[in-house]
Formats: sequence, structure tokens, C-alpha cells
Amino acid sequence: MSTMAEISRRRFLQAMGVVGASSAFALAGCGAQRASDQAAGSTSGEGGIADTITFAQGADPRGLDPAYVDDGESAKIMCNIYDTLLRYDTESCDVVAGLAEMPEVSEDGLTYTFKLHEGVKFHDGTDCNAAAVKASIDRQLEPARTEDMPYASFVFGSEDSGAGVASVEAPDDTTLVITLRAASTPFIKNMAMALAAPIVAPSAIDAGDSNENPIGSGPYKFVSWSKGENVVLEANEDYWDEEHMPQTKNVIFRFIAENSSRVTALNNGEVDIIDGIDASVVPTITDAGNELFDEDGMNINYMAFRNDSGAFTDVEARRAFCQAVNVEEMVQSLYGDYAGVATSVMPLWMAPYDEDIEQTAYDPEAAKEKFAELGITSCTMLTYTNPRPYNSIGGQALAEAIQGYLADAGVDMDIVSYDWTTYQTKVETDAFDCCLYGWVGDNGDPDNFMNLLADENVSMNVGRYRSDAYNALIQQGLATPEGDERDAIYKQCEQMVADEMPWMLISHSKNLAGYSPKVKGFFYHPTGVVHMEGVTKSA
Amino acid sequence: MLKYIVKRILLAIPVLLGVSVIVFLIMRVFSADPAPVVLGQHATAEAMNQWREANGLNDPLIVQYFNFLAGALTGNLGESYYTHTPVTQELLSRFPATVELALVAIIIAAVIGVVLGVISATHKNSPIDGLATILALVGVSMPIFWLGVLLIIFFAGVLHVLPSSGRIDPLLQPVGGTGFYLLDTLLMGDFEAFSDAASHIILPALALSMYSMAVITRMTRSSMLETLSEDYVRTARAKGLKKRRVDIHHALRNAMLPITTVIGLQLGSLLGGAMLTETVFAWPGIGKYVVDSILKSDFPVVQGAVLLIGVIFIVINLVVDVIYAYLDPRITYTKEEG
Repeated sequence: MSTMAEISRRRFLQAMGVVGASSAFALAGCGAQRASDQAAGSTSGEGGIADTITFAQGADPRGLDPAYVDDGESAKIMCNIYDTLLRYDTESCDVVAGLAEMPEVSEDGLTYTFKLHEGVKFHDGTDCNAAAVKASIDRQLEPARTEDMPYASFVFGSEDSGAGVASVEAPDDTTLVITLRAASTPFIKNMAMALAAPIVAPSAIDAGDSNENPIGSGPYKFVSWSKGENVVLEANEDYWDEEHMPQTKNVIFRFIAENSSRVTALNNGEVDIIDGIDASVVPTITDAGNELFDEDGMNINYMAFRNDSGAFTDVEARRAFCQAVNVEEMVQSLYGDYAGVATSVMPLWMAPYDEDIEQTAYDPEAAKEKFAELGITSCTMLTYTNPRPYNSIGGQALAEAIQGYLADAGVDMDIVSYDWTTYQTKVETDAFDCCLYGWVGDNGDPDNFMNLLADENVSMNVGRYRSDAYNALIQQGLATPEGDERDAIYKQCEQMVADEMPWMLISHSKNLAGYSPKVKGFFYHPTGVVHMEGVTKSA
Repeated sequence: MLKYIVKRILLAIPVLLGVSVIVFLIMRVFSADPAPVVLGQHATAEAMNQWREANGLNDPLIVQYFNFLAGALTGNLGESYYTHTPVTQELLSRFPATVELALVAIIIAAVIGVVLGVISATHKNSPIDGLATILALVGVSMPIFWLGVLLIIFFAGVLHVLPSSGRIDPLLQPVGGTGFYLLDTLLMGDFEAFSDAASHIILPALALSMYSMAVITRMTRSSMLETLSEDYVRTARAKGLKKRRVDIHHALRNAMLPITTVIGLQLGSLLGGAMLTETVFAWPGIGKYVVDSILKSDFPVVQGAVLLIGVIFIVINLVVDVIYAYLDPRITYTKEEG
């Protein structure tokens, strides 16, 4: 026999209330504090200079250890936390002294001896000496290198390629000797890059969480990272480099994915600097009284012909294609003043010696005749859909513009488009006649652009261009010291591209950023990073 | 009651298994190869193949699935391919933002929706009813993305009275609490931070609540109309009770049963992450994170997040059913005593 006990509704609700309230207090309890208690202080300024500058970018960093990331969002933050052996000049890709003086290079070009500054400390107080630099590099060399170090092979080379770093020695606290497997002129520029090259404190590496809790020796110290929200940095008051002392106490990187939301945040005074914008929002930014930064970027937007199969294996077919498209008109119409017509693979600011290179001129009648003669009436183009740093309007709109010119020349072009992630696989696996692609330079060296057409890797050389003569020039350029001789080699490469047309060059995009008129000293470096130590904001 | 809850939990197992199979297959069939995204633009084909091998992506699908399932059963959802951080940690760090936004949005939706629905039902076919109907229609039809942008333009861009994005001023951000900023700042007694957090949540919560508000308004109206036509309501009126008392104490309390269910379901869907709202307002919650992860083919994150969302739905439904029973005086949960 059993009896029935009823739980009253009132008691149930009371119990739920007590449980809810006590859980809340227990969870919140103690331990919570303001982020500003951890950072340098409040937002109020002294001496007319604000304590805090906020930079809004489109996404979280992938991580904050330069060995494990490959994205620009990470690089922008990391370049303020870490030092590099050498650094880029403020507004160009010329390399100057950094953590070390400019190195002595042996006659055979294989040994680089760096003299490090004395007494430099990491943010946790440990010594930033030659042994620490060696540890930071050694972990990215084979056999210690792991497959999730995306820039290690680019910056430090690999055994298979017979190039790159063979060994790193630290004979004393301030001397670092790096020996290369083969002479490489770009190596010195690699040492200034914001990816792989920055020096991470051994203590952070040993702790195993350097991607989330970075420790460097740079002008700003890491304070916190709230995923999806912000990264907070504070000035390193003990920074060793008096020329680059941080001027603002706190630098905050906020993550606002939507373009228009970033613009509104700038116009509303919530943030001080934004990047990742396209030409369409420029009037909104300037009409609100904000400043626009627009300088030439280090990139190339191009269309690659499939050189090994399909409709354009013949150079005459490629020439006809290039004659059919009025690139100048197309670039002006699609990008306005915020991209320049590409007359060479490298932007001219990077390689002024390319000034007299000429690409195939627009000649629709000649194109029509040649297509008819070759019997080309259709072709397939692969493209991506998303905007890219070198193509702010996305691949679809650009492909459709080219499709229009081709139709006028009697060729029916089929466009097959994918999101960028899928697209990267499709250009390797699918059949196509031509495809849209682009490149953002890594280190400001000509090899970084021109080598793409000599690369065996299909994901880099999507058009599968193969030329022994071109490859020989690239090898020669790698080992030739900077100067006229080297410039002449790359000019020859550019001329081969203009003559053989493995690519139809389209444009070089400008780097665009908006910032408050109160902000001074802001410069968006061509490598896509922003050094905040010299940036201030009037209070 | 306990038996009923245990039964519901057991029933949830096949549902979660089904969810895990579907999301696993969708990601494997329709998503791009993650290797190029993870390894970057300098990766060679050989390096990509090594990475796939190391991450088990070259194994047969059935092996991959059971590896995932075995991990999930022990609470290990794996690591993000892209950031190398544990998926559980990534989801937990974003979950409070989603929950906070969903709760504020559902409170706004429930309060305004029920009030509008009641007024609409008690003034059937009047201009007020018409206005409420139009509002509900607009709420259901208006894309959240568009509404969000409009709210931002008006309140942040034109009036400059509310912030356009984010959860709080980064320097006022509470560190080390629950992750629920409104609660943390209140309990810290930091009213400046509380007010800042509140000002940040208003616009996204308003945008997010619009659809739920419309659904709740329509449900309240129809449920109230049905209840108002019941005999006991007529009897109450015949006894001379005031109209307001009859409407609120007799009609609304009984009409609340289906409304509660709808509110619960709406809360469940809001807790699953509001992708568009989170994106427009740069709200660092789960919805936006999952979409970013889908675009990066970050399989462990998407699988883990969808499982979590599945669990949330099941728990919310269970809680609603329990509350439903307590709201209905005719239902009595009992237990046997020896």
C-alpha cells in the first residue's frame, strides 16, 4: 500500500528561486575584477594624450605565438608584443636593425652573425639573450618542427628544398650565428617578418600556452584575450629601444566581423582605428569627419591560365584573351581609386625597375579574329566568391566583368564559383581553362612574388606554368645579393611573364583603413601590420 | 516525477546520437578539405597529406565517427584544427555571452509579447488588435540582419546614444567571474560597468527578441481568445467579477500553458546561438563562432557545438514540460511512499 504526496506549485517555484539565486552568487562570488585593474589604468588621459587606443579588426587572431599562425589578424597584434632580430623600416620593406644590429654576412653568403642588444628582458623579466633567440628558432627547424607551424618552412627553409637554416649557434649571450644551407638573399627580410620570425620567451614556450598567453620583449605586454571580443595590451615601460618607446598606455584590439558595424563603431567613437574596409564605405567614414588611410598594398590580383591543359596552352590563345579584356577600364569601374592597374607582377613601389614593362594591349578586334582562327568558342573559369585582400569586390563580380569582354570577342565563358575554402581545393583537383587568384606579399622581397610561377606546388602555381629558363632565373635571383644585378634578373622574369602571359595581370589593391582625426602617427605597413608604439590619440 | 525525468533523459540518447551522425556526415560530405585552411598558403601537398593522416582524416568514415563518439562520451570533444585549443574550452568561453543575450531577449519578448497578446485578445477586432497583428507580422517577416543594421544606424550612428557592438567597454570588463557580465558587474557592485554592459546588450537583445515577440504575441492572442470563450470565464463574469480580474486571474493563467511551451522553445532556439545577431553586433557568442568554424571546415568545433546545441534543446524542452505540469492545476506530479 502506498500514499501519495503532492509537491505544491508554490514550494516548487520557491525552491527553484533559491537554487537559481544561490547558484548565481556562488558562481559569480568572488574573484571577478575589472580588466582595467589588470591593464595600465583608466581611459582618462594626461598631458592631452589619451591612455587608450582601440583598433577594430575583422576577426580574432588565430593565435598569438608566431610559430603557429599564418593570418594577418594575428600578425597585427603580435608585432606589438614581440621583437624580431631585424625590423622593417617604418614605411617600406627595407630592413633595419631590430633586436640585433644588421648582421655580418660571410663571403659565401651562408653565415649570418647577429650581435644582439645587451640587457634586453622579456615581459616576464627573463633574459632575451642569444640562447633565448636560438630556442625560439630551433623549435621551428627540423626535426623539432611540427606540421602545424604554417610559416616555418617559408621563413627557415627545409632539408628537402636544400635551402634555409642549417644551424643556429649562440656562442655567447649577445652573439647569434645562423648558418644557411644555400645562399639566400630574402633570408634577411624573413628575419623581420611578423610570422614565425618574432622571438618568443622560452618560458612561454616551455609553459605550452604561448598561443594564448604570449610573452615577448616588444613595446607592448599582453594583458588579456577575451575570445571573440578583444585583446588588451599595455605599454612595456621598461622597453629597451628608446626610439620605439610606446606612447599610449593601453592598446585594445577589438574584433568586429561586419564591415558596416566596424564603420559605425568608428563613427560613433567606440573605436579609434578600423581596417579591412572596402571602397564602398569610404564616403561614410570621411563624411563623419574621420581620416582615411590609403597607401599601395603589397599584393597582386591576377587571372591564371591553365598552362598544361585546356583552351589556353597556346601562347597565342592567351594573347587573344588578354587582348579581349580592357583591364584598365575594368579596374577603374570595379575598384575606383582604391586599386591600380597592374603593369607588372610586383607593385611598382616595390620594384621601380619594372616601370617600362608593358602588358598585352587591349585590342578586341584582334582578339576576335584570333579566337575564330584558333576555334575557341567557350572556356571555363573557376573563381572564389569571397572578397580577398587583393580583390575587395570578390571573385564573382570580377569573373562576370571578364565574361562580358569575352562574350564581345565571341567566347562563351562558363563561371564556376566556390567559397574560398572550397576553392583552394578545387583549383588543385578540377579541370578549368582559367581561374582567378591573387597574392599578398610576405616579406617585401621580389622572390616572394616571382617565385610563385616557379613553384612545384600547385596551390601556389595554380596555372601550372613550367619554364626551365624562368626557374633558372629564380634560382639565380635567390643567391644574388641585392643590387642592380639582382634587379635585372627580376626584370627579366617580369618580361617573360609579359611575353608568355601565364597570368593576365589585373590590379594591385591599396591598403585602406579609417581612423579618428584625434589619432596621430598611424601607418599601415605594406606587410599588413600596424606598429602601435608611435600611435597616439589626443584626449 | 523522477521516473518521468529519467525516461526523458534516456529518450534523449537516440536523439543525440542521430544529431551526431547527421552533423558528422554533413561536415564530411559538404565541407571543404580543412588541410589548406589549417596549414596556410605555403603548405605542400605532402604536408597536407601528413596533416590529414595525423588528424585521422584519411581513416574510413566509420572509424572517424566512432573516434569522435568515444571522445564525446568522455567529455573530450577534441581540439580545434585551426587554433589547437580544446573545443570544450572554446565553447565554454563563448557560452555565457550567448546565454546572457538569449535570456535578456526572451525576457523582452515574453513581457512585450504576452502583454500585446492579452490586449489584442481582450480588444478583439479593435484598432489595437489590428496594430498588434501588424506588429507581429512585421516581427516575423523582418530579417534580423536588416533590423539589427537599422537599430545600429539609428541609435548608434544617428543618435549616438547606444554602442553599436561588443558586450562591454574592454577596460570595464569583469575578469574571473561567471562570464555573465550583467550578473558579475552587479555582484561586484561596479555600477559603471553594469550600466555599460546593459547599454551594450539593449540593441542586440531587441533585435533578437523581435521574432520571438511576434510568435508569443500571436500565441497569447489565440490562446486567450480560446480561454475567454470557456464557460468558467462566462460564469466568473456572471458572478460580477471585474473584467481585469477575470482576464488576468482566470483567463490568462489558463492560457499560459501553450504560451509557456512556445517561450521555452523560443529560448531553446535563442540559446543555440543567434548567428546573424551575433555577427551584426560583434557579440562574442556561440552562433557566430560556429558559422566561422563551418567556413574554416573546423570539424571538431562544429560537431561539438551542434551536440551542445542539441543538449540545450533537450534540457530546455524537459524543463518546459516540468514547468508546464506545475502551471496546470489539473496535473499533479506524485511519488510513491513506502
